[in-house]
Amino acid sequence: MPAVFHSLVAWLTHATRYLATAANVVGTLVVLALVVMVNYDIVARGIFNQPFRGAYEVVQFSMVLIVFLQLPDVIRVDRLTRSDGLLFLIGDKFPRAAATLRRVINTGSAVIMALIAVAIFPEFLDMWETQDFFGVPGIFTAPWWPIKLTIFCSATLCTLIFTLKVFSKSGSDKPT
Amino acid sequence: MSPIEIGSLSVLAIILLIYIGVYIPVALIGVSFVSIWLMRDNFDLAMNLLKIAAGDSVMEYTFATVPLFTFMGLIVSKAGLGSDIYDVMSTGFRRVKGGIGMATVGANAAFAAVTGSSIASASVFSKVSVPQMLHYGYNPRFAVGVVAGSSVLGMIIPPSAMLIIYSFVAEQSVGEMFLAGVIPGLMLAVAYVAAIWTMGKLTPNFVGGRPADEYEILPWGVIASKTLPTIGLITIVLGGIYTGWLTPVEAGAAGALAGLVIAVLRRKMSLKGFWEALLETGHITATILFLVTAASIYSRMLGLAGLPNELADILAGNQASFWTIMILYVIMMLFLGTLLDTASIILIVVPLFLPLVEPMGMSLVWFGIITVVGAEIGLLTPPLGISCFVIKATLDDDRIKLKDVFLGALPFAAVMLVVLILLIEFPILSLALI
Repeated sequence: MPAVFHSLVAWLTHATRYLATAANVVGTLVVLALVVMVNYDIVARGIFNQPFRGAYEVVQFSMVLIVFLQLPDVIRVDRLTRSDGLLFLIGDKFPRAAATLRRVINTGSAVIMALIAVAIFPEFLDMWETQDFFGVPGIFTAPWWPIKLTIFCSATLCTLIFTLKVFSKSGSDKPT
Repeated sequence: MSPIEIGSLSVLAIILLIYIGVYIPVALIGVSFVSIWLMRDNFDLAMNLLKIAAGDSVMEYTFATVPLFTFMGLIVSKAGLGSDIYDVMSTGFRRVKGGIGMATVGANAAFAAVTGSSIASASVFSKVSVPQMLHYGYNPRFAVGVVAGSSVLGMIIPPSAMLIIYSFVAEQSVGEMFLAGVIPGLMLAVAYVAAIWTMGKLTPNFVGGRPADEYEILPWGVIASKTLPTIGLITIVLGGIYTGWLTPVEAGAAGALAGLVIAVLRRKMSLKGFWEALLETGHITATILFLVTAASIYSRMLGLAGLPNELADILAGNQASFWTIMILYVIMMLFLGTLLDTASIILIVVPLFLPLVEPMGMSLVWFGIITVVGAEIGLLTPPLGISCFVIKATLDDDRIKLKDVFLGALPFAAVMLVVLILLIEFPILSLALI
């Protein structure tokens, strides 16, 4: 069984890497779109006196996309904010204790991300059924459900990435 | 256990967890979640608050300042604006004892006005000015200390990521925070230059170095081409905000675009470099804003526990004076600065202290400047002086140990503390421009 299990972990790690990188690329394009869109609004408003209606809502929308599309990759490459001085210190003298501590931390992190996914999912179903929207009717509106779906998928992927880190054989949280 | 006890224990638990290496947002969310659940004995309430924090707290228009100013900073670093300003400054200061150090401070101050991050400044200037200082016989400790000390300017002189983060927590306008940072930032830069001058007189051996006679005076055309792009960017960003013509979000977008145009015109921008800057922007944004999300559930938890009000009552009961509270606050930030990064310090400490400051009739904008400067001192002190680590890593020179960077930065941390005390005593320094 262990051999099968390890190849499953390896395969999943591979798959999550592709997913996280793909989400990351999309999120990166959203950053670019944000720069372009806000500048378009400045010019349209300042020079042609025709502001881009809905600039405000689109900016809000893109913030959710940027954060939650990039988050899985941030976790994958271990750039989530932490203070790991002590872990390194322990790792020098007691590598196995440090590896265990890392596993515990990753397990806890997976639980938190799973909780977020579980908390947000009913919200997505609700918005999907009611087709509720945000923004000002008549000026600019966008449906809520894509936002909730993005957060749900992102949190699920983050859970998976943290779980795989628990089973990773290397003693580090950085991808190999 | 009473809510107050649970609340206090959670703050301790969060600090402990962070210390053993738990991801900071995970520690904030996890502990807050459990303590809300325990306090109200209501799992659904905890889930509900988690849902609100994750789903709604990121949807803030002003949050867009984070990716936009980060992107602008990365682009102008690649465009070489930092080293250009440095070239001009170092010819200006060439005859003074410690002149290259002063030039580094000056260049950092100017560069800080187009980037929002100390890390960017630290890595640019350890590549540009440390080798030159070593070449002219400066004391290595002094050389790295200057770079570490002045990199802090990046977080105080606007646009600054830390001022943005504070404005989120305290619900202040980003534009006002930026304008408030101008005078304190310049004050700190002037204080650094004065400190270098004094060190050159009193402890010439610590500074070292000889007058740099090999510098040629730059022709005016070169000076213009090296400084005008930066001046233009500062005008767009700060001018736009000051006149009210641009919101901070728009100023960030305009600055990013202008920086991009400069980089392309100078042929400093490849498609690969452009993509890397975008990618890095996304990573930094997700990291910072997820932390902000986590902090939003934490401050709700504190509110439910009634901890900030309790703290206010205790201090009022003891007739704590203004300075007692301030000293307590600064000591707490210095202590946390030994293990946390600046953003986390702001997010953890500010929600605790805001209810104390508001009734005292103090301006929350002023309080933000105090917070950012105080938390930034931690960037220079061991064991977690992030600026110092970046400088050590960028230099990659075995002759300079991490200890040297910390010791060299120490006088500058002291100068910061003096400036901080002045800023606390004279709020007008922070509030004059708004």
